[in-house]
Amino acid sequence: MGAVTDDEVIRKRLLIDGDGAGDDRRINLLVKSFIKWCNSGSQEEGYSQYQRMLSTLSQCEFSMGKTLLVYDMNLREMENYEKIYKDIENSIAAAHEKIAECKKQILQAKRIRKNRQEYDALAKVIQHHPDRHETLKQLEALGKELQHLSHIKENVEDKLELRRKQFHVLLSTIHELQQTLENDEKLSEAEESQETHMEAETKQ
Amino acid sequence: MVPREMDAQRALELLHMTVFSQSVSPCGKYLAAGNNYGEIAIFSLSAALSSEAKEESKKPVVSFTAHDGPVYAMVSTERQLLSSGNGELRAWNWSDIVKKGCKEAWSRRPPYRSSLEVPEINSLQLNPKDNSILLAGGDCAVHAMDLESGTFTHEFRGHSDYVHCLALRDQSQECLSGSEDGTVRMWDLRTGAQVHLIEVHKYEECSRPQHGKWIRCLATDCDWMVCGGGPALTLWHLRSVTPTTVFPLPHCQQHVMFYQDLILSAGHSPAINHLQISGEVRAQIPCTPRSVHSLCVNEHSPEHKVLTAAGSSHKVDVFTNFSYRAFSLCFA
Repeated sequence: MGAVTDDEVIRKRLLIDGDGAGDDRRINLLVKSFIKWCNSGSQEEGYSQYQRMLSTLSQCEFSMGKTLLVYDMNLREMENYEKIYKDIENSIAAAHEKIAECKKQILQAKRIRKNRQEYDALAKVIQHHPDRHETLKQLEALGKELQHLSHIKENVEDKLELRRKQFHVLLSTIHELQQTLENDEKLSEAEESQETHMEAETKQ
Repeated sequence: MVPREMDAQRALELLHMTVFSQSVSPCGKYLAAGNNYGEIAIFSLSAALSSEAKEESKKPVVSFTAHDGPVYAMVSTERQLLSSGNGELRAWNWSDIVKKGCKEAWSRRPPYRSSLEVPEINSLQLNPKDNSILLAGGDCAVHAMDLESGTFTHEFRGHSDYVHCLALRDQSQECLSGSEDGTVRMWDLRTGAQVHLIEVHKYEECSRPQHGKWIRCLATDCDWMVCGGGPALTLWHLRSVTPTTVFPLPHCQQHVMFYQDLILSAGHSPAINHLQISGEVRAQIPCTPRSVHSLCVNEHSPEHKVLTAAGSSHKVDVFTNFSYRAFSLCFA
C-alpha cells in the first residue's frame, strides 16, 4: 500500500516538476518559512517574514490562476479542433458524393456525344445522296413526259392503222378492177376466137 | 506444371512468346492470358494494382499448359474459363484455378467435316441469352454449342475461307463473322440462315489491296459495326449496310472494341488507338508488344477497372487510366 502511494506520489511530482521547478520549490520554501516564522520570536523579523510569506503566497496564487486559465484555453482549443475535424469530414463526404455525381454526368455526356457522332456519321452519308424532293420532282416530270410521249405514240399508231386500212381498201379495189379487166379481156378473146371459128365453118 | 529447368531455354521461349488471348475472371480480380505455347497464366490484378505491389505481384499466380497448340481464344462464363486451341474447346473451373489446382472440367470437339483436319478455333463468343457459345473455326464454319448439354446445335456454313472473328448482336440474336475471304456475314442464330453478306473489299473507300482482303477483327454495338484487317478500319451502319467512317490508320488492325463513346483498336503497330466515331484519331497510346493481338477491359470489378493489352511479347500491359501504360505483367 505504501509503495503504491509512493509511486503515485513520485509520478505526480515528476509530472508537476516538469512543468515549472520554480513553483514546487516556492511552495516548499513557503512551508519552511511558515514553520520558521511560527518558531521565530522577534516582532520586526516576524513582520518582514510575514510580508515575505504573503508575497510568496500571492505569487503561488498567481501562477495557479495562470495554470487554470491555460487549462481552460486548452479545453476550448480542443473543442475548436473537434469542430473543425467534423467540418472537414463532412466536406470530404460531400466531395465524394459530388465525385460520384460528376462521374455519372460524365457517362451521360459520353453517351450523348456518342449518339451525336453516330448521327453525324449517318448524316454525312445521307448528304451524299440527292435531296428527296428534287428526286420526286424529277420523277414526276419524267412520268409526265412518258405519258405525253405514249399519247403521241398511240395517236401515231392509230393514224398508221387508218392509212394502212385505206391503202388496203385501195389496193384491193385496184386488184378487183384488174381482175375484172383481165376477165373481160379473156371473155372478149374467147368470143372473138369463137366467132372466127364459126366463120370458118360457115365458109366451108 | 512443366518444370522450368533450363533458364536459357525459357529465356528463348519468352523472347518468342506471343500472347493471343486474355480473359478476366467473373469476380474481376484475376486475368488469364493464353500464349502460343499453349500455356495459360493467371495474374492477380488485385495484388498488382494494390499500393504494396512488388515485382512478384506482376508474375503469374499460377500457370499451366492448357493445349498442345497455341491458345487462340478464351472467354469466361460465371464459373468457368473456356479456352480454345487447335480444334478443341476446354473448360476450367475458376474456383479450382484460383486455388492452383488446374484440371480441366471438360473438353469438346466441334463436329468437323473430315476427321483428318484439325482446324484451329480462332474466336469464341458467349451468348448469355440462351447459354450457348459460338466458335469460329478454321474449317470455314461457325459452330454453336449449348453450354448445358454440350451438344453442337448449329453450324453456319458459307464462308469460303477460315473465320477469324465473331461478334454478337444481343438484341436481335444475330451473329457476325469475319473471315479470311474478305466477307462479313450475318447469321440468324435461331434459324441458322445467313441474313446478310458484306464484301468489305469491294467498297472503294475502305479497301486496301496492298494489304489484302482478310477481315481480322469485328465489334458491334446494336446498329453499328466496326471491322478491320486488310481493308482499313471502317465503321458501318448495319441497317443500311453502308460504310460511314473510314479511320485513317495505316496499319492492319487486329483487335477492335467499342468502349463508352470511343472505339479502341490495336494492330500491327505498338500502339493502342483511341478513335472517335466521327473519324478522328483521338490518341495513340504506346505499348510494349510490337503487334497487339488482344485488348481486354475489366468490367467485372469497378475498383480494378483496367485495360490490358497483349500481343507479340511476353509482357501484358496494364493501363489504369486508359491514357498511359501503368505497368506490365510478365510471364515467368
